[in-house]
Amino acid sequence: MLVFAKRNVLLYFRDKSAVFFSLLAVFILIALYVFFLGDLIADGVPDFPAKHWLLLSWIIAGVVTVTSVTTTLGAFSVMVNDQATNAYKDFRVTPIKQSVLLGGYIISSLSIGFLMCIMTLLVANAMLFATGEPVLSFTQIIQSVSVIFLAVLTAGSMISLLVIFFKTSPAFAAASTVIGTLIGFLTGIYIPIGTLPAYLQSMIHIFPISHIATLLRQILMDAPMAEAFAQAPVEVKESFQLNMGVFFKVNGWQISPFVSVVYLLLITIIFFILSVSVMKYSRR
Amino acid sequence: MQTIIEVENVSKSFGHVKAVDELNFYVTKGSLFSFLGTNGAGKSTVISIILTVLQPDSGSVTVNGFTVGKEDEFIRKEIGVVFQESLLDPLLSVQENLAIRAQLYGMAKHEILSAIQRCAEIVDIHSILKQRYGKLSGGQKRRVDIARALLHQPKILLLDEPTTGLDPQSRQQIWKMIGHLQKEHGMTVFLTTHYIEEAANSDFVIVIKEGRIIAKGTPIDLKQQYSADRLFITTTDHTALRTHFLHDHVLFQEETGGYTIDLPNTTAAIPMLHKYQSLITSFEVRKSSLDDVFIRIHDREGV
Repeated sequence: MLVFAKRNVLLYFRDKSAVFFSLLAVFILIALYVFFLGDLIADGVPDFPAKHWLLLSWIIAGVVTVTSVTTTLGAFSVMVNDQATNAYKDFRVTPIKQSVLLGGYIISSLSIGFLMCIMTLLVANAMLFATGEPVLSFTQIIQSVSVIFLAVLTAGSMISLLVIFFKTSPAFAAASTVIGTLIGFLTGIYIPIGTLPAYLQSMIHIFPISHIATLLRQILMDAPMAEAFAQAPVEVKESFQLNMGVFFKVNGWQISPFVSVVYLLLITIIFFILSVSVMKYSRR
Repeated sequence: MQTIIEVENVSKSFGHVKAVDELNFYVTKGSLFSFLGTNGAGKSTVISIILTVLQPDSGSVTVNGFTVGKEDEFIRKEIGVVFQESLLDPLLSVQENLAIRAQLYGMAKHEILSAIQRCAEIVDIHSILKQRYGKLSGGQKRRVDIARALLHQPKILLLDEPTTGLDPQSRQQIWKMIGHLQKEHGMTVFLTTHYIEEAANSDFVIVIKEGRIIAKGTPIDLKQQYSADRLFITTTDHTALRTHFLHDHVLFQEETGGYTIDLPNTTAAIPMLHKYQSLITSFEVRKSSLDDVFIRIHDREGV
């Protein structure tokens, strides 16, 4: 399985344009922030200490979340291409079992997604350093990497269900673009969740990947928030956190990190079972 | 003579379409076996079944003693496949491609290196091992494909229309290699083609249509059975020649510049040439090619 996964990873990184396009949503997101979203969001909140640090941390959490989805999705293009070009036929005549081949595709896609997210996190850290803000602590990095791992797992299981329905590369590419664009809205990353109408907020609450964003925000924004709201009343801090999606409140209940993690694991398992059964069914 | 592939009463349908209908044949060990048919005749289905990728609805297929559907893993180790399309990864080098495929057959690191050297030798691709597969010419790709099929030292080499889309020179080179593999390495070669000329060197030919065998035998058998020789005559006095033909009850077809007459055999032309000598300006006795034979078999059985 690992041999086959290694081949997929190699193939993905050899295709420079595929790598670029799976990062495209991330590039667009960064450009949006640099050119106007950043100022828009900064103008929307009152001045307080460590404002730049806090908002930059918020953006980093969003960018890493988007990366976890788009790169994992992009990595699955190897599988779609193999099906579309019939390259898969040559693997089917080897003694390797089909389930092992499938496992190889999944492992390679998850590894690629994970690797790209770690790289994004490192770049973000460099950005913090370059703008004179404190860099991430060791604990923060360990915590973020664990969340990234969970993110890639969840995204991977959801995407593997999707991938079954795309038989040609152009169709898959189009779907990837649509998903890459939507993902920023569905997770409350382009625009702070507090400014959206209630029904969109509920949609974001349900969408599993949003929980990745909140978990990352909690980790990355912890230190700057402590500094920013040291002098402020508790209500101000809380309203900021809800507004920016650091925490979600559903029916007056604040979702704890533990609940988010459980929710993500549950979604992962459900989609994994769904994908496997659909694949078994569609092969007949 | 030992048989290496045995197909018994095999049927396979897709929905209401019967792709293979009660097919029976066997392949002798070490022979060059050609499987002929037009597109959609059921060739691919039969190949897929032999490769254990498809299971037959009924009947049984054994490959070197192993049964399809029961001992698939063993069968896959016995067969090396060259597909019609070039299926290796275009972005990887030839060497990388071969190494990855070899690992899928469970070969160890040191075995892989020597296997690649051995196969590169046979198909003469040493000079392009470091190049990307996607950048190679059609003929080079095909040679790499054959090397890939030989990596795990299979007993049977299965080629699905191996020379489709190649230039004549590459085509000849590929056929030479295939012949060499059969004779020097004692491999059983199973190939499909829709050019019967390419089957001329095979030991046995089977022609299928709509999932059934419509002709079989050695290429010479088939040629004798189905070929027809024709006499082509040109003349300056068309009316006189035509009158003679009608008078003698000779069946003829008009062609550009002359007439063709079907003959039972080549020598039957001699008395005819004597008879119409005065009217003939030129003549030609045409022996039918294997392609004509194929078209003939196909048309005749189609009725």
